[in-house]
Amino acid sequence: MREIAGLAIKLFIITAVAAVCLAFTNSITKDKIVEQIALENELARQEVLSEADTYEQIDQNSIISAAESLNFENPEIVAEVFKGLKGNDEVGYTYKVLPRGYGGEISVLVGISVDGIVTGMKVVSHAETPGLGANATNDSFQNQFNDKSTEQPLSVISGGSPGDSEIEAITGATITSKAITDGANFAIEIFKEMNK
Amino acid sequence: MNFIKNLWNGIIPENPIFRLALGMCPTLAVTTAAVNGLGMGLTTMVVLIGSNVAISLLRNFIPDKVRIPAYVIIIASFVTIVGMLLKAFVPFLDKALGLFIPLIVVNCIILARAESFASKNSVMNSLSDALGMGLGFTLGLTVLGIVRELFGTGSIFGLSILGASFEPALIMILPPGAFLSLGLLMGLLNKVSQAK
Repeated sequence: MREIAGLAIKLFIITAVAAVCLAFTNSITKDKIVEQIALENELARQEVLSEADTYEQIDQNSIISAAESLNFENPEIVAEVFKGLKGNDEVGYTYKVLPRGYGGEISVLVGISVDGIVTGMKVVSHAETPGLGANATNDSFQNQFNDKSTEQPLSVISGGSPGDSEIEAITGATITSKAITDGANFAIEIFKEMNK
Repeated sequence: MNFIKNLWNGIIPENPIFRLALGMCPTLAVTTAAVNGLGMGLTTMVVLIGSNVAISLLRNFIPDKVRIPAYVIIIASFVTIVGMLLKAFVPFLDKALGLFIPLIVVNCIILARAESFASKNSVMNSLSDALGMGLGFTLGLTVLGIVRELFGTGSIFGLSILGASFEPALIMILPPGAFLSLGLLMGLLNKVSQAK
């Protein structure tokens, strides 16, 4: 009995000290982490819709209802929409879409201008295979989306030279390329639904 | 003198990957590219140093019967703290290494060194053991990463080595390539050390 109590007390002391250390670190890092994430998102929005100087978040419920009226399998695939403003003028929108790639969810940011032109695509975070799918973060892939029209959905081709609504797949990473392009298509559909 | 001996011991004679065959799970998973191996190795080394020193300091306080839960708490707290600090204060490092940090908690090298070395040796010796094991682990992971990246994509650390005409053997950066290269490297090392 005595022995067990001794062990329990010592283990309790260790866990209590660990808990205090964790709580302390959390209290000094929490706000900084939120700040860093906000900053990173802001920079990403700047990249895909550079024309705007301020961004306003659009109510999530209206996005979900738009996704539902389009019969999306997963109405939450478009996670965040921001309206980009230049002064008081609306210049476009940024869409955060979360398609499933080869290694799990990919977070993709797509910018579309008010006149229906894709202004940029950026892979914000992913868990794709390094050397293959991870090449989706390279400019050579991302820049393909610039200036695409939203008239018709984008499609992926492997090899050959891509046409107006075509994206050339990353070598050895067709699944990743398709997932990102599908994600961009979801953003385009939501854009059309909410701005018709 | 002991310091150097312990240090050297972890790098070659008891290399955690090629000799002790410890921590195989992250080894096989992250060595798809040299830079990933290096990142995982260095992050592990930092945690290993922290946990080895902490456990060595507490070796007379931790009761033998509950040592494993005590070690796990110390290691997990340490990893979580490192993770939070990186996220808050060095976001660029977090972007590069963030993926590996949760993997370290389940890395058995840390627990194995705590159990077999730090709990029985002085702080200085535990520190040198952690440095040696950490360097050995980093070396092993980086070599494995170099081999796989070279044959899998034709480059090392992202720099093209074999030129554009090289047809990459995709299998090398996929999971089977990890087993193939690890087995062959282990065999090679055994052959070399036997010949001496």
